[in-house]
Amino acid sequence: MKVKVDLDLCQGHSVCLGECPEVFDVVEQEDGYPQVVVLIEEPPEELRKKVMSAAMFCPNRVITVED
Amino acid sequence: MSEAAKAELKRPPIVSGASKEGGHMPEFEKDYCAFISRAHAEGGELAEFDFGGQETILMSGPDAQEVFFRTPDEVFSQAQAYQVMVPVFGPGVIFDATPERCKTQLKIQVDALRYQNMKNYASVIAQEVEDWISDWGDEGEVEILHAFHELTMHTATHCLLGKEFRHSMTEEFFSLYKDLQAGVQAISFVDPYMQQPVFAARDRARERLEEIISELVATRRASGKEYGDALETFMTGTYKDGSHLTDTELTGLIIATMFAGHHTSSGAGAGTLLEIAKHPEYAAELKAELDEIYKDGEEISHASMRAIPKLESFINEVLRLHPPLVILMRRVMEDVEYNGYLIEKGKTVAVSIYESHINPEYFPDPHKFDPHRQEPERMFAYIPFGGGRHKCAGNAFAILQLKAIFSALLRRYDFELVGPAEDYEDERANMTIRPKDPCILRYKRRTD
Ligand code: HEM
Ligand code: SF4
Repeated sequence: MKVKVDLDLCQGHSVCLGECPEVFDVVEQEDGYPQVVVLIEEPPEELRKKVMSAAMFCPNRVITVED
Repeated sequence: MSEAAKAELKRPPIVSGASKEGGHMPEFEKDYCAFISRAHAEGGELAEFDFGGQETILMSGPDAQEVFFRTPDEVFSQAQAYQVMVPVFGPGVIFDATPERCKTQLKIQVDALRYQNMKNYASVIAQEVEDWISDWGDEGEVEILHAFHELTMHTATHCLLGKEFRHSMTEEFFSLYKDLQAGVQAISFVDPYMQQPVFAARDRARERLEEIISELVATRRASGKEYGDALETFMTGTYKDGSHLTDTELTGLIIATMFAGHHTSSGAGAGTLLEIAKHPEYAAELKAELDEIYKDGEEISHASMRAIPKLESFINEVLRLHPPLVILMRRVMEDVEYNGYLIEKGKTVAVSIYESHINPEYFPDPHKFDPHRQEPERMFAYIPFGGGRHKCAGNAFAILQLKAIFSALLRRYDFELVGPAEDYEDERANMTIRPKDPCILRYKRRTD
């Protein structure tokens, strides 16, 4: 499983961090909104459910998961 | 872009039927949905019209809309396009701030709406709904436009600005707020500083609101208490140099947040309830879903509302057919090429949310209300909250709020129309879409 994020769309709502802190962090930026940082690009299988929740509940559809 | 390069490019087609005075503005003001559809049909992806002297290029379809949303602010400027909001928000706020200060203000605003803060909001909203319906009795009639205006005013202020603010609000606050809203309409885009009674009322309202809000903020500062709400986030937010928002900026930011969140939520709430009354068959599905989720007497909370799929799809369909914001704009700051066409510096680009949502390619039988529709895979086809870096900062809050309201309401009451369905058509005035006023529904306590 591979996690991708589209930073053009991220506004730092932090839903991803709430759903799966193992994989997502949200960090302050020099300018503008905080943004998501992917901590593990290829997370282990046991995190699949949490990663999928993060992707599903991100209000901006920033996160995509490829197999 | 060099003159030679520009000469190579085609110009977007110009929509027919401009009047000598005001260009397409008169037609736009009469029924902008019909006008936009005509412009789209004539021009395709790009169609230029004269918006009261401002050359405006309508960008239609997901490809063009994606470019609209992804192009950075330095090229498609939101602030320059929304100068009409400056007298509403006040000097130095958002669209009137330097780009750097504006970015910090937006960040402080979004901080207040983050996931961590949202958890408390759900129960506050549920409580407001309980208060609202506490004297409804077993059955009766309710005018829902006014009711939602008031309810969402209460919830927004309660969640964002705290309990004391919510309970110190008076009739005066409501009427001032109305004056501010009336100050934004199609003619404001021509010149928001014209000598007009609506603009004078807007300015008086802005001044008085600032007094009221400054007083509340001063009381808080003096009290030294901690509140853990959005107002606190606003009061403690800092610029890069470590300074805080001034009182004027703070007031302006509160108005800006209320302004972005209030009429949109209120319209979406009324629109949702109206569709529920119009479609008893779908209402039954929603009630069954909610009864199942709350069957053990579970409280309405952030956790219980995380996934309510049928209600969410229903709300999505309401926002598709009745988008609370219908047209978004940006000012073009540099020449841009799109598919061989020139989008020239100084013009305005626009996206119509409504028009995007009735595209039959993505929404078959588009005028039919169908909550079972699949959201299209294609990004930027369904855009009730806009997209890209300026996507609605309150979108998660807005959906949470609607879910909380209807979780509480539908477990108690059934709703039906009191007149023929034709009496409940949408009204398209002041650049918004909403049910025609008055919009009266009959409610009955559920006995099933
Ligand atoms: C159903 C309800 C709502 C709808 C349909 C809606 C829609 C939108 C849209 C389309 C935009 C983008 C404007 C543009 O691109 O020019 C926007 C921006 C915004 N909205 Fe909402 N909104 C809703 C509720 C709310 C609420 C409840 C809040 C706050 C409490 C809010 C706060 C904002 C803010 C702060 C922005 C500006 C974001 C930025 O420019 O970076 N909205 N909204
Ligand atoms: S990825 Fe989505 S949920 Fe996470 S911070 Fe960005 S916008 Fe928010």
